[in-house]
Amino acid sequence: MSLLSCHDLDVSVADIPVARELNLQLREGEFWGLLGSNGIGKTTLLKCMAGLLAPDAGTIGIESRSMHEMSRKEIAQRLGMLQQHTVYLFDSSALQIALTGRHPHLKRWSREGNQDIILAQAALDAVGLGDFSNREVTTLSGGEARRLAFASLVVQDPEIMLLDEPTNHLDLRHQLRIMDIATQLVSGRNKVVVSALHDVNLAARYCSHILMLFGNGQWQAGACSEMLNGPSLERLYGCKVEAVETSHGPRFHPVGRGSEEVSSGSS
Amino acid sequence: MSAHPRLLIIALAILSVFSLVFSSAVGSVALSPSEWLEAIKHPDSATGEVVWRLRLPRAWAAWLVGALLAMSGCLMQVLLRNPLADPYILGVSGGAAFATLLGMTIGISAGFLPILTIGGAFLAILLVFSLARGEGPWSGTRLLLTGVVTASGWAALISLILALGPDNSLRGMLFWLLGDVSHATPGLAPLAVLLVVLGVVILMARSLNVLAMGETTARLLGENTERLLWLIYLLASLLTATAVSLAGPVGFVGLIVPHLTRMLLGADHRVLVPAAVMFGGLFLVVSDTLARTILAPRQLPVGVVTAVLGVPLFLLLLNRAKLKS
Repeated sequence: MSLLSCHDLDVSVADIPVARELNLQLREGEFWGLLGSNGIGKTTLLKCMAGLLAPDAGTIGIESRSMHEMSRKEIAQRLGMLQQHTVYLFDSSALQIALTGRHPHLKRWSREGNQDIILAQAALDAVGLGDFSNREVTTLSGGEARRLAFASLVVQDPEIMLLDEPTNHLDLRHQLRIMDIATQLVSGRNKVVVSALHDVNLAARYCSHILMLFGNGQWQAGACSEMLNGPSLERLYGCKVEAVETSHGPRFHPVGRGSEEVSSGSS
Repeated sequence: MSAHPRLLIIALAILSVFSLVFSSAVGSVALSPSEWLEAIKHPDSATGEVVWRLRLPRAWAAWLVGALLAMSGCLMQVLLRNPLADPYILGVSGGAAFATLLGMTIGISAGFLPILTIGGAFLAILLVFSLARGEGPWSGTRLLLTGVVTASGWAALISLILALGPDNSLRGMLFWLLGDVSHATPGLAPLAVLLVVLGVVILMARSLNVLAMGETTARLLGENTERLLWLIYLLASLLTATAVSLAGPVGFVGLIVPHLTRMLLGADHRVLVPAAVMFGGLFLVVSDTLARTILAPRQLPVGVVTAVLGVPLFLLLLNRAKLKS
């Protein structure tokens, strides 16, 4: 079933087109990687899909409904987003922050119950913050704050999860940990994930589908195996990329210098 | 939620009652516990008059003002996502002060001054509301800048009145500007404002928690933030206006008390707000009792005492926070 759909979506940021006439169906069980160079509009597109920014034209649908006729609360019960930056200004415990994921599911006057606390503690355990539940969040490291933000998204438990560079600030092991959790949610719980990523090899390893933003409104979407190859990545990033076959499938590494302009493939 | 915060709120409530009793027993005629009980039982006796007609109303006014300002401070700090925001930062007290001093200058009788104060406060609120609303979505920065700039505009007008005003009313104006509960006559309205707003705020306390994590986060967690933020602005302004109409712009309570309470109990507004209300009331009753006894028979405006207590306390807090991070 299609969980999130874009119909003829035009998105731009500061008058620069991000995507023109974007048509996508994101179905349950799909893990989408959103790739593109810096400043191309990945965050803008994700915010648009989350209903935080209005598109120039077109509509976004959640399940069978149009997003703009849904309340924020109804959206939040179905769609959640990990933002690119996480800053905690006021002192709270990590458990309290994780519990905020329950906010859209609770009635105004009801408190978080034991069930909610169990969920939150499980999410903290899953991201490796199990022993941190009483820690003040203002004392967390960048990577820990990142994992905490992901944990509260897991507690929110929406069908549609938008991740804006989820592996920022994370060491290798925790990058895999977050991506593993996302994968489990996608395949085991029939969710859909859209994740902006800069690490092509993480995308190759985890994503089932890829959406590429080339700038000037151009985009391309499809199955991961068809989308990720040397020429398309060279067009995407403007630097030379070599594909290496491994036992896990193709992996990519940049060759040459970043300052070299790559002419091949750029249309 | 553990029982610990609830116990602390109850403890603060008991201390509040105790502070009212204590405040009504000390002064130029100091009363022992038994004398105080006699005075309470016999309102018509000389001491009964002092307790019932002078000290209790004044202590009660101080408690109300402290409670109102503390809650307003909690709201402003979430609204502007700035732990250093206070109830006056957006100019509510400036408008109130301008209207009140203008009234004093042209010789309006003291009984009508609170009405002018409320009117000035609402003028300031509406001014900021309409200027900051503008087009496009909510912007906290625009609200902050509009508020701070109109506040300094009011400050300029107040200076003008002080510079041009008649000498014989300067002292009264100064007392009013510093914050003084000695003339406050709280009816039922301030208590009603406190209780109604407290009820609304407790109902939306979880939304405040979410909002404290940032406006975008709050929207992603299902809040209609634009409506929520304007509601918070109006509630906080109403609290401030009520407090200022009773006692003038008493400083520091609205800044320090939310802070201290947050340090003690954490940032969960379901606990923070009621605790800050109790603590704010207690803090101002103690401050006002000091204000009328330290230099007796002279009486100080309570705002001087809150500043004298507040500034070192606040610097201490800042220092502690620095050590922590």
